[in-house]
Amino acid sequence: MTVRTIEVRERVMAKNDELASEVRRRLNEARVPAFNLVSSPGAGKTLLLERTLQELGSRLRLAIVTGDVQTQNDADRLSRHTDQLVQAVVTGGACHLDARQVMTALEEIDLDATDLLFIENVGNLVCPASWDLGETAKLVLFSTTEGEDKPAKYPKMFQQSSHAVFTKVDLLPHLTFDMEQAQAHARSVNPALQFLFTSARTGEGLDGWYAFLEERVTEAKRA
Amino acid sequence: MHEMSIAMEVCSIAENHVPREELGKVIEVGLVVGDRAGVEVDNLQFCLEVLLTSPPFRAAKPVIERVQGDVLRVSYLEVDDDRPDD
Repeated sequence: MTVRTIEVRERVMAKNDELASEVRRRLNEARVPAFNLVSSPGAGKTLLLERTLQELGSRLRLAIVTGDVQTQNDADRLSRHTDQLVQAVVTGGACHLDARQVMTALEEIDLDATDLLFIENVGNLVCPASWDLGETAKLVLFSTTEGEDKPAKYPKMFQQSSHAVFTKVDLLPHLTFDMEQAQAHARSVNPALQFLFTSARTGEGLDGWYAFLEERVTEAKRA
Repeated sequence: MHEMSIAMEVCSIAENHVPREELGKVIEVGLVVGDRAGVEVDNLQFCLEVLLTSPPFRAAKPVIERVQGDVLRVSYLEVDDDRPDD
């Protein structure tokens, strides 16, 4: 038996990361910050984006890439509120978006006519953490209807994110959700994590959310 | 859940290192997977076992070395040059 060993030493994510770098390069060149919204299913990514389009869409040119395992429902919901492009990626069973899909979606988006890009990932707190999409930052949405210990259960997602955006804060009086405990869990896996507080239903906290986004756009244009 | 995507990427890396007509002679695919790589090793092993016994592969065995850290790497391929092509 003649067995030949081929040394490979290649990172499995190398191809994705190469494409993500290219996405990042294009976004930087066009000075467009891009936020990758990640969360468990039902945390309120689409509703937050709908309201953001309605209220910030007149001030900023927003583009959205939205991914779903099946259906274009989220893209349909979002496209009702904007003429700006919404590119649906139907992953066909995959549990996350990858850099190639974002790269393909970018071909349909005029970055020179865009101030800010949102990537609405597939609802899943596990898999999207492993894929760099070339985004400026991942923002993890943390719904008040979830357990406070979600960051402890899904540390990688919270470690990879720059901000945790609490959603459905209007429900807090009706829930047993302990906000301090949730933040402690989040900071224990990522001490640098910043927090935002929102309710896309009542509008509570959205001023802070919009200010955060507008600051990032201003920074990107200055860079 | 994303282990199948990773397994497919592993196969594509193997296909880049071995000519297509020799992929049936690959007998072992060595990987290094860190405990913080976000990978369920049993699941990845299962996905690889399925893919590496399907064309263009024939009967390659995934060998996963578990280490600390977030590494996720294909380390080596073993090719049996004497294995007859069916």
